[in-house]
Amino acid sequence: MDIEPFMLRAVLTALFLGPLCGFIGVFVTARRMSFFSDTVAHAALAGVALGFWLGLPDPTVPMILFSLLIAGLILWLKERTALLNDTIMALLLSGSVALGMVILSLLKGYRGELDRYLFGDILSVGWSDAALALVVLITVGSVLFWKLNALALLTAHSDLAHVSGIPVRWLNYGFVALLTVTVALSIRLLGIILVTSLVVIPPAAARNLARSLRQQILLSLFLGLIGAGGGVVLSYPLNLPSGPCITLTLAGLFILSLVGSRLQRASQNAS
Amino acid sequence: MDIAFRSQKSAAVEVQDLHVRLGGNPVLRGVNLRIEAGRMVALIGPNGSGKTTLLRCLLGLQKPDSGSVRLLQEGPPGPGILKRMGYVPQRLQLDPSFMLTVREFLAIRRPLTASWFWRPSRQIDALLHEAVGEMDVTRLLDRPVAGLSGGQLQRVLICSSLLNEPELLLLDEPTAGVDTPGEADFYELIAEVHRRRRLTVVLVSHDLSMVYRHASRVYALNGVICCEGAPEEVMNAESLRQAYGIHFTPYQHQHPHSHGSHGH
Repeated sequence: MDIEPFMLRAVLTALFLGPLCGFIGVFVTARRMSFFSDTVAHAALAGVALGFWLGLPDPTVPMILFSLLIAGLILWLKERTALLNDTIMALLLSGSVALGMVILSLLKGYRGELDRYLFGDILSVGWSDAALALVVLITVGSVLFWKLNALALLTAHSDLAHVSGIPVRWLNYGFVALLTVTVALSIRLLGIILVTSLVVIPPAAARNLARSLRQQILLSLFLGLIGAGGGVVLSYPLNLPSGPCITLTLAGLFILSLVGSRLQRASQNAS
Repeated sequence: MDIAFRSQKSAAVEVQDLHVRLGGNPVLRGVNLRIEAGRMVALIGPNGSGKTTLLRCLLGLQKPDSGSVRLLQEGPPGPGILKRMGYVPQRLQLDPSFMLTVREFLAIRRPLTASWFWRPSRQIDALLHEAVGEMDVTRLLDRPVAGLSGGQLQRVLICSSLLNEPELLLLDEPTAGVDTPGEADFYELIAEVHRRRRLTVVLVSHDLSMVYRHASRVYALNGVICCEGAPEEVMNAESLRQAYGIHFTPYQHQHPHSHGSHGH
C-alpha cells in the first residue's frame, strides 16, 4: 500500500503530539487549566495572521510566539491586578481572535487560510512541522517526567510544594510555557477551536479507568496516541477536516471509558 | 554542651517584633514569640487575628514588613531550614480528576522514592514502611488522595511530613475537617508522635477546647501575642476574653492532669 507523503507527515505528527497532549493534559485538567489552554490556542490565530501580514510563508514561529506572549500576559495580569482568572482569559481570548480576524480580512487572498487554522488540515502539515513535533515531544516529554514529582505536589498544594523546596513560581511559568508550545503546535492538526479536546479528553477518559496517577498518565498517553492517530487516518477517506475527526474519535474513546468504568465497578461489586 | 540543658533552653521558633500589613491593614503588629524546642504548643486566635499570616511568615510564604523570624537556631525560613521542617496544611487543593494515590503522594515527597513511577508498588511500600505504620495509613495506600475523609487526609498529611524526619512540625487547623470522635484520636496520635520523635509541634487553631488537653503552652494571638502561658492560665486571662469577644465561654476543665512537656 502506498502512503501519500502528506498523510505520512500528518500521521507522524499526530503520533508525536497525541501522547504529549495526553500527558500534559493530566496536569492541565487537575490544575483546572482547560480554559487557559483554550485561550492560548485562540491567541495563535492572531499569531498566524501576523505571520501572513509579515509575508512569512510558514506562520508557525509567530503563532508560537504570540501564544507565549498571551500566556505571559495572563500570568502577569493575574499577579498585578485584582481581576479574576476567568475574566483575564476571556478578555485575551476574544481580543486576540478579533485582532487575528481583522488582520486576515485586511490581507488579500488569505480568507481560505482561516478554515484550515480554525478546524485543522492535514494538508497543511509540512515535514518541518513533523520534525518540530518530534523535537517538542522529546524535550517537553522529558521535562515533564523529570519534574513529575514537583508538578504532582504543586497540583496537590502549592504552599506544600514551596515548603518542600520546589521553586513554585518558576515551575508554574515553565509548565505554562511547555503547555503553550504543545498546544500551539497541535493547532495544525486540530485547529484552534478543537485543540483543547486533545489536552482534556484523554486524561478525563483515563481517569474513568485508572486507579493511580501512574495508570492515569500511561492511559492518557495511550488514548492521546489512538485518538490523534485514528482521527487523522479517518479524516482522509472521509474527506473531512482532521480536527473534528480527532475530537470525535476522542469522544468515542471517552464513552468507551465510561462503559469500562461501569463494568469495572460492577465486577468489583460482584466479587 | 549538655543535651538536656540545650533542649530546655534552645528555641525552635523565635519571632521578634514582626509587622505585616496586607492591603494596607496592619495584620501583625509587633509579634514576639519564642517556642522552646521539643514542646507541643498551640497558637490560637479568632478568625482575622493574623494566625494564618504568622504561619505563612514561619513558612517563608509571606515576607514581613519588619521584624525577624529565626527557626531551629539557624535563621529565617529558607530552603535549608524548610528541609528540617514539616508543614501540615488544612486540606489539599486536589481535584477529583487527579488520580494521585496515597502511596504516590507519599512517594513524591521523598528523594528515596522519587523514581516511584518506574518502580513496583511493593518496593515503594518497603521504603515507606516505617512512617506508614506509625500513622496507621497502610490500608489507605491504594486510595486516591482526593477521595479521603478529613481525618484520613490529616493522617496521610502528617505521615508525609514525617517522612523527611522534621525537627519542627507546623499544623494548620489540624482538625478542621474531622468529626468529634476522630478529633480525640487525632490528638492522641499527634501526642504520640511528639513523644516518640521528640520534635517541636506547633498547632495553629481557632479551636480553644483542644488546647487544654494537648498543648503544654498556649500563645493567644490577636495582631500581637496578647497572652501566653500554660493552658489554664491563658484561658482565664482577661486579654483572651477581649480577643475572642464577650460571648466566649472557656471550655470547662474537669480532669486535672499534668501539662508538663511529657517528662523529657
